[in-house]
Order: sequence, then C-alpha cells, then structure tokens
Amino acid sequence: MTRYLLKRLLWMVPLLVGISLVSFLVIHLAPGDITTTEAGFDPKASEESRQKLRELYNLDKPLLVQYGLWFKRMATLDFGNSFASHQRPVFWQKTDAEGNIVKGMIQEALPITLLINVASLLLILLVALPLGVMAALHQNRPPDRIITVFVFVGFAVPGFWLALLLMYWLGVVNPWLPISGLHSLGFEHMSRPAQLVDLAHHLVLPVFISALGGLAGIALYVRNGMLEVLHQDYITTARAKGLPENTVVYRHALRNALLPLITLLGLSIPGLIGGSVIAESLFAIPGMGKLFYDAVLMRDFPVVMGILTIGAALTLLGNLLADLAYAWADPRVRRGVAR
Amino acid sequence: MPPERGLGVTVHAARAALAACLMCLLLAGCGEREPAPSVALDASYPPEDGGTLVNATGGEPSGLIAMLAGESAASAVAGYIFNSLLRYDPNLELEGELAQSWQVSRDNRTITFRLKPGLRWADGAPLTSADVLFTWQLITDDNTRTPYAADYQLVKHAEAPDPLTFRVTYEQPYAPALASWAGLHILPRHLLAGQDINTTPFARNPVGSHYYRLEAWKHGERISLTRNPLATQGPARIERLVSRFIPDPASQFLELLADHIDTMGLTPIQYARIFPARPQLSRRIALYKELGNAYTYLGFNLKRAPFNDVRVRQAINYALDKQEIIDGVLLGLGEPVASPYKPGTRWSHPGLQPYPYDPAKARRLLQEAGYTDSDGDGILDRAGKPLAFEIITNNGNKPRAATATLIQRRLQEIGIKTSIRTIEWASFISRFIKTGDFEAVVLGWSLGLEPDQYNIWHSSQQGPGQFNFIGYSNPEVDRLLEQGRLELDPDKRMHLYHRFAEILLEDSPVVYLYAGYGLQAVHKRVKGIPDPAPLAGIGHNAHEWYIPQALRRTEISAQ
Repeated sequence: MTRYLLKRLLWMVPLLVGISLVSFLVIHLAPGDITTTEAGFDPKASEESRQKLRELYNLDKPLLVQYGLWFKRMATLDFGNSFASHQRPVFWQKTDAEGNIVKGMIQEALPITLLINVASLLLILLVALPLGVMAALHQNRPPDRIITVFVFVGFAVPGFWLALLLMYWLGVVNPWLPISGLHSLGFEHMSRPAQLVDLAHHLVLPVFISALGGLAGIALYVRNGMLEVLHQDYITTARAKGLPENTVVYRHALRNALLPLITLLGLSIPGLIGGSVIAESLFAIPGMGKLFYDAVLMRDFPVVMGILTIGAALTLLGNLLADLAYAWADPRVRRGVAR
Repeated sequence: MPPERGLGVTVHAARAALAACLMCLLLAGCGEREPAPSVALDASYPPEDGGTLVNATGGEPSGLIAMLAGESAASAVAGYIFNSLLRYDPNLELEGELAQSWQVSRDNRTITFRLKPGLRWADGAPLTSADVLFTWQLITDDNTRTPYAADYQLVKHAEAPDPLTFRVTYEQPYAPALASWAGLHILPRHLLAGQDINTTPFARNPVGSHYYRLEAWKHGERISLTRNPLATQGPARIERLVSRFIPDPASQFLELLADHIDTMGLTPIQYARIFPARPQLSRRIALYKELGNAYTYLGFNLKRAPFNDVRVRQAINYALDKQEIIDGVLLGLGEPVASPYKPGTRWSHPGLQPYPYDPAKARRLLQEAGYTDSDGDGILDRAGKPLAFEIITNNGNKPRAATATLIQRRLQEIGIKTSIRTIEWASFISRFIKTGDFEAVVLGWSLGLEPDQYNIWHSSQQGPGQFNFIGYSNPEVDRLLEQGRLELDPDKRMHLYHRFAEILLEDSPVVYLYAGYGLQAVHKRVKGIPDPAPLAGIGHNAHEWYIPQALRRTEISAQ
C-alpha cells in the first residue's frame, strides 16, 4: 500500500512538469503580453518604455529561457509576482525588510472560492441524495417525474439569468438579501456573531446559484445508480430475508449506488478551486474565477501559470484521493491495489 | 464537479421556457416597494460637512501610484489622494493646483513653477519643491516600471533652487509640457526615498495631499477614503467616500435600485429606457449627462488599396449616417464630431461640420475613382476586383460591434461589401494593429485636452507599436504638428490646430462617428452638483458636494 502511494506520488512530478511546460507554451502562443494590455493603446505611453518593460519582465527572451526562469523559481516554490497588480505576490504573502506584509493574490481569492464551492457541494449532496433515492424508489411514478422535471429545469436555466431575477426579487423588490459583495459596509464594526450572520446572508444567493447546475447532475447519478443496484440479486436476497425496506434501501442499496459518486467527487476536487467568472462578476465576489479570467485578458503570465499549476496539482491529487477512497469503499478494488 | 452543462439545454429548452414564464408571472405580481419619503429630497438644504457617499465602479485599482498602475480605475481613486502641479479648470483650461503660478522663459525652453506657500502632506510634513523634483526623478528613473516616462524624459535639467520653486529646462520648446505637469501626481519624498517604487507598500497605503486620504482597502470589495483635514485645496465637505467594486453593470444597477449605492455610470439603455419608464426612480435619483472625453471612428489602412484613394475615403464618409449610428447605438446619447477635439474647448474648430449623409455624392465619388458595377452583382468593382473589405474591432465592446453592423448596412447600399470580425483585445492589438495587418477598424481615441496629437497623426509615427498605425502621411499636417509642439502661446497654437483639423477632415483618413455622453446617476440626497455639467464634467467640484444630515443613510452614519 505504501509502495503504491509512493509510486503514485513520484509519478506526479514528471506529470506536473509536463503539464506546466505545455501550459506555459500555450499561454505564450496567444498574441500580446502585459505591455499590450497595460497602457498598450495610450498615446502617452511610448514604444520605448514598453520595450523597457518587456526587458524588465524578461518577455524579450526566448520562450524556453523564460520557462527555465519560471521553473527555477518554482523549484523553490516561489510563484513570483504579478505583472499587472503592482507586483503583488501571486500565491502567498511576502514580507519585506520593514516588516510590511503583502498578501498573495491566490491567498486572498482561494478561501472565498473554497467557502462557496464547499458550501454548494454540501448543499448539492444534501438535496441531491434524497431526491435521487426518492426518484429511484418511485420510478416512473409522479414523484420521479416531478423530480426529473425539476432537475432538468435546474440544469437548463441559465445561471446568470436566474441570478439576476433572484437579485431583483429578493434584493430590490423584497429587501431580504444583499444583492452583491461579501460583506456589508459596516462589517468591521459588527460583533462576531453579527459578522457571521452578515456573511451567511451574502452567501445565500451565490451558493444557491452555483449549486443549481450540479444538483441536477448528482441527483440523476444517484437515481440511475440506485435503479441499477435495486435490480441486483443481493437486493432480492435481502428482501427475501425479510429485512425491513429501510435497511434494504439505505444499508444495502445506497452504499453500493454511491460508489460511482466517489469518483465523481474525487474529480470535483480541482473544481473546488475554480470559480465561475459570470457568477463572480454578477455577485461582485473576488474569487478565483475572476482572478484567472482577468489575468488571462491582461496576459499576466505569473498569475495564469500559478493558478494552472495549482489546479493541475490538485487534479492529480484528486484522482489519487478518488482511487484511495474507492479502494476504501470497495473491497474488490482494495484487493487489487494491495497486490 | 457539475457534469458538463449544455447537452440538456436544447432538448429541454421548452421546459426552461415554461419555467421562465412562471418566473415572469411571479415577478409581475410584485412592484417595487417604495419607502414612503419622510424627507423632501427636492427641498434645498444649506451646505454641511459629513456623510458618506457610496459609488460603484467596475474595476479595482492595481495600486494607487498612477504612474505605475495606468488603468482608469487607479487614476480615478488616486485622483482623490494626490495633487499635480497644474489641473484643468471647469472649462478645461490649465490652472495651478499645487503651483500658484508658472512662468515660461523668453526662449520657451524653461518653465518655472512657483508653489503655493504652506502646503502639507496628509501626515503633516511640509510639501515642497523637493518632492516635485523627487517625483520627476522617479518617473524618469530607468528602474521605474512606467510606460509614461516619455514626456518627462524630454526635460534636460530640473532643479528646486528653493522650497517653493521648481524649474524645468527642455532641450527645445515643448508645448505639451505644461499639460504633462497636470498629469503627474506629486509623491512624498520623505516616505518614498530609498524605496523600490515598483514594489513599495506605499502603493497600497499612500499618503497624499489632496481632499481625501485612504481609510481602508478591502481587496476585491471596496476602497474607502476619508477627508484629509490638511488638504492643499481646502477641505472637502463629504466625510467619507466608498468605492465598491462591482464588475457587472446590471448588478450595479440593482444596487442603485435598492439604494445601497448613491452613484454609478449608466448605460444608454438604463438612462434612456429604464429611467423614463419608472417615474418613481426619478423621484429619488437625478440623472446627469456630460460629453465624454473620447470619440469612436472608422479608420482605414491607408497603405492599402482602395483606401489610398482619398475619393474612396470621402465616399465612405458621405455614405455613413452618423446620426443614425448615434440613435441606434447610443440611443441618441452622443454627438457627431468633426475634429479630434472636444466640442466647446478652444481646440475644437467651431466652423467644421461632419460630412453630411449623402449617398448620391458617395456614389459619384466612387464612380470618379473608377468603381462601377460591371458584372451586375450589386457590388462595385474596378479592374475585376470587387470593392470589399473587412472591418475589425475588439470584442466585448458592444457599441463598437453594433456600429460596425450599421456601417456594413449603409456601405452595402452604395455597393461596398464588408465583413465584420471582433477579436479579443490583446490579440487585436498585437496581431492586427501593431503589424498593420487590417483593412478597416472601428476604434476610439481620446478627445485630447492637450491638443498635441503628434503620436497619432505624424508620418514618423508609423513603426510597429506606434500609434499612427493607419499610416497617415501628409507633409502639411506633419509641419503643423511640429509647429504646434514648439508654440507655447495658446492663441497661436489654437490656429495651428484648427488648420490641422481642417486638413484632417478633408483628407478623411478616419471617419469620425460619434463622441458618447458619460451618463451619471446620483441619488438626490447629494446636493451641490452643478447642472448643467460644465465642460469638465459634474465630478469637477466633487469636493463641494454635500449630503444634508436629514437625508443621510442611517445604517452607515451609525458607524
């Protein structure tokens, strides 16, 4: 088992290097660099000054040399500083000689995105599991039909449109919820519990909107998984033994039906650090989606590379975790891994 | 994590539509609840200090040192914190800000600024000419990562002989110099000396000398500024300014409806359609419009046929109905322009008129240029080649794309075939504009407050990355632009630039399409806003705006 783990972890290193090299080349293929986006079209900015900036950022060097420089920094886990945002550190805070701390861009955006995504994942599981089970138990009868319609509507409704409607309805017409942002203006002067309530208020709509799409998918997965399992022989056996229906459904059927979900959740780990640009723009939330999108538009290469690298590492880790969780949940797989 | 969306969309569009209808029914049931106005918003109140003004902006500044940051969000906030030597008055003429007066030497090469006495930084330290000299050294320093050094590098010698005097000497007379000193925020030497300007924490925690100082900056959410009691221009009235960063204009508008923000920039649709349809909004929110500082144009690649023929350019100019574009794209909220200068300023030639819409004349000009429809397909041709070209513009700018579409239709009518392509900004600039690999573009330039447009129109500025990318070259224009840079007398300069604008209009290297209005909504609790807006815009006297006690928001003043 330990050998298996070590082997998997070691394999991740060349994979990560390969991924970073390909990402680096691809993002540099796009025309333009920071000097075309920042003051690139301002007649007061001269071409000489832009050339000087290019040299300062090493953008005039051959691509492989630039990658080498990036890699050398990464070897010490230094993600570098952003081109665009007054040289803010890309990943984690840095302290200068006088003790001034400058927070990293990912450091500030990541907790917000994680908070929203974890909350929405919990919401999805909390709602989708019962819905899926219920639909499977009442297959082709009204509850199933209603759930399926609900699920597809949730799937098909454009999130931004629903978000705007809800913002208007719950924020303007009936001022129950805040419209955008994460904190009220007087947040700093609130008591601790009041701050939590304020934050929770601000999170209701973004979490609901980001959960909506996933809800449909997971509910259907659970429904179909359950249907498949419910037709297995061992379920018939359990029923024949005279076990109560609840035990049959929740102990024997559901556990087996959840196996594919584990893979799905493992694969969703890298998704946890990604945010939706549209939702973040609408709700004015400074998360990872907008950070990445803006960095790409600005050609802020250190930020783009930083997010891609962390995303790649998390994807590989997520795969590993999914495999491990699968082995833990399914004895058949476990025996294969141990061998 | 959620499986790919998209497959289900078309199949279940009908169900989504059903849901949409349900949603509309729900919405239709409830109107906007208007709080009963307990105070008269329209009454007049005496000016008083205090209160908080909340506005919304789309972008967040990257830092508050404008020479490094460059984006408009940064200069907007930094403009409340820092002073320049000079500034523009309500009529967009230069006047002193930190400088009490300035003198230009007889040979036009030396400018001597005399600072106002007793100036202080917000931390109490005296602000002297040494700070000005230090700022000049910073922006011209090779290690400073600024794209804006060019104007200041022309200074051959700068000195601060005494605390109130700052003197710069240029190699040769340089008329835009004065305006350049209205664009350089003076930074405090006592806080920045010896620091690396590129990474200094000062950019996020600045100390300035203007009306406001930074109170708090919550990344990604908001910046709040509070009044600077030592302000060099006298104290402002409103105690606190809060800028919230809300990227989406629709969300901004909802915040305005819910009365969480006091002011925002509107889109033409919000200004001309939504507001008139909802009288209850106009009861509490006042609308202002002011001519913006930019114009949109159709530019030609003059190095290529058919645009190297002035008759073709003029024909296209006659074929385009500018008012139609203004009505269609900006819902009427724009003005046609006939020169690259802001109408109403001295640089704008009052006698010039835009090309009228005259398709018959356009056809005649094209015929003179040798274009006829010889094969009867509805498209003009010459020597077997159809008169067709591609118009490109940057994507994400809806007005420009809509403008291109209207252009396409009008040109179709006189027999010119066009196609439209929109391209992401960075690719657009580096792949097409820099390389000169385009036929026609829809783009914008600013309506310069400083009349010098050497960088845009002089024939020497056609290299890669330079701004005369359309390849305009006219010896007389070159001469006028060169003279304009040497002439410091405003009246003589004005005549040079009027003549320049005349030639430009006649040559038609670009078709001026429109200058749009800036549309501003401000809650009526804010008093003291000039209406109609002066040339410089309503923000010009923002330090005199005030919010009477009776009209302030309760939740914020409780802080």
